[in-house]
Amino acid sequence: MPKHIVSGLKYLESVELRKRGLSQKEISSQIGVDRSTISHYLNGRNISMDSIELAKTILELSPKDFILITKVLFGDYKEIRQIVTIFNMNHYDPQINDGCIGCGLCVDLCEMKAINLDSLKAKINPRYCCGCLMCVENCPTKSIEILEVKNG
Amino acid sequence: MVNVKEIEGKDFNIKRSAEEDRILSFKDHVCIGCGLCEATCPVEAICLDEVAPIERKYTETYFSGHEKIAQNYALFKNDNEVKAKLCIDENKCVLCGMCSGVCPAGALDLTIGGVSIKENEAYPTLIASAEIDEDKCLFCKKCEAACPRASITIDRTLPNRADLVTGEIEVCEDDCIYCGACAELCPAEAIVVDKTTGEESIVIDKEKCVYCLVCKKACPVNAIKAVCRSCSYGEYDLDPAKAAITGNAIIDKETCIKCGWCEGVCPADAATVKQAFKGTLEIDEEKCGTCGACIDVCPCNVLSFPKSSGPGDRGTHLVKEEDYCIHCGACAKACPNGALTVTRTDIDYTPTSSKSWIAAFEALKN
Repeated sequence: MPKHIVSGLKYLESVELRKRGLSQKEISSQIGVDRSTISHYLNGRNISMDSIELAKTILELSPKDFILITKVLFGDYKEIRQIVTIFNMNHYDPQINDGCIGCGLCVDLCEMKAINLDSLKAKINPRYCCGCLMCVENCPTKSIEILEVKNG
Repeated sequence: MVNVKEIEGKDFNIKRSAEEDRILSFKDHVCIGCGLCEATCPVEAICLDEVAPIERKYTETYFSGHEKIAQNYALFKNDNEVKAKLCIDENKCVLCGMCSGVCPAGALDLTIGGVSIKENEAYPTLIASAEIDEDKCLFCKKCEAACPRASITIDRTLPNRADLVTGEIEVCEDDCIYCGACAELCPAEAIVVDKTTGEESIVIDKEKCVYCLVCKKACPVNAIKAVCRSCSYGEYDLDPAKAAITGNAIIDKETCIKCGWCEGVCPADAATVKQAFKGTLEIDEEKCGTCGACIDVCPCNVLSFPKSSGPGDRGTHLVKEEDYCIHCGACAKACPNGALTVTRTDIDYTPTSSKSWIAAFEALKN
């Protein structure tokens, strides 16, 4: 079953990237699926409608639930990053205040590997922040704030 | 991501494995029970045991006649054998290393990827050191005897017991440092050196003396004068090369707490100690119940009841040797009556850009 969900998500990824004007070749290399499968996806063949429905439901989940389920489905952080950045339309502005003690708990927790420690202070790369807030919830000194950036 | 606690006797390690392994290790025999870690921990994961730090330095006989002290002794003695001084809740600990940063004894140490944070420039470290310059060291062992943590080992080789010469032996007590090197070497056991602070003495039993002059050769400060008896050349002329004491002065970096006793007793200015905290230690004699708890916890042997006038009376009045106080605050924490006040006015540590760590170090001042 997880395989079907993965293919449903990959299908949605292909469609999304095609909308953005990427060629089949580019889509294939970005999401790591061979070109013939991409072609099938984009022509609406060989894919179960149930899987697509389920994948669409997954996309509706909160950022935290979404990343937790992609973690289970994909395992590899590069793939997690890939799918989260494709579907996450929101931008976040992470703020670390002076209370940060550099314990590195957030670094270890971040599934996107968006956080590193720089001179005893956490540093979050906004490009990869998915807004799941797991770092915020677990920070022992409550030093992290993730602000959602409203476009326009 | 889960913290794992491995307990070995009273020591333990807390581990968190992810990108880089973080390991916080605790060594009970190094811990001085000052509680600075407990006060600093940002997640309140540390608990200093109220009872365990009391390690009785004196025997029960010492306290006989002092009922209150004897009672306390009996109370603490048993617990002492099983409990570690510190307990860290591994579920709360986030392995930030602040406890390790402020620990004046080095009992706690956080390593990240196998490297101690004391080696990491991003982390602030208390600046304290103790060194013995072996070029200046007389290897007299005074520091070894004075060190409250038994951290110093003087490994010395005394001169050869050769070239027997007969003569008259005299000791110039103004020069003598009562190091005991002569007594240790004397083949006739004719020399008795009492090293007790304040009551030092040296006695040479001329009946036992075989006039071999080994004592003169062994003396690091040339306080022994010898006159050749078999000839009349006056003062015996000694070959300095043959008379030299050689050796090594080794400080155990693990247990040394940089209190400065070695520097204080060294007759040759060979020991240099730099303390991390500056401050004061005050005793409120009215509150002091003379239970001796502070004396027992003090890692620097700074506090004592001076031996007093007659037998059976050890004196009840608490005194301090403040030069050697590291201002760790263990005594103030142990005192049941709040009679001791330790104030830290200055703390020397390496710079850091982290404001929360600076705040944690500054908070040690009070």
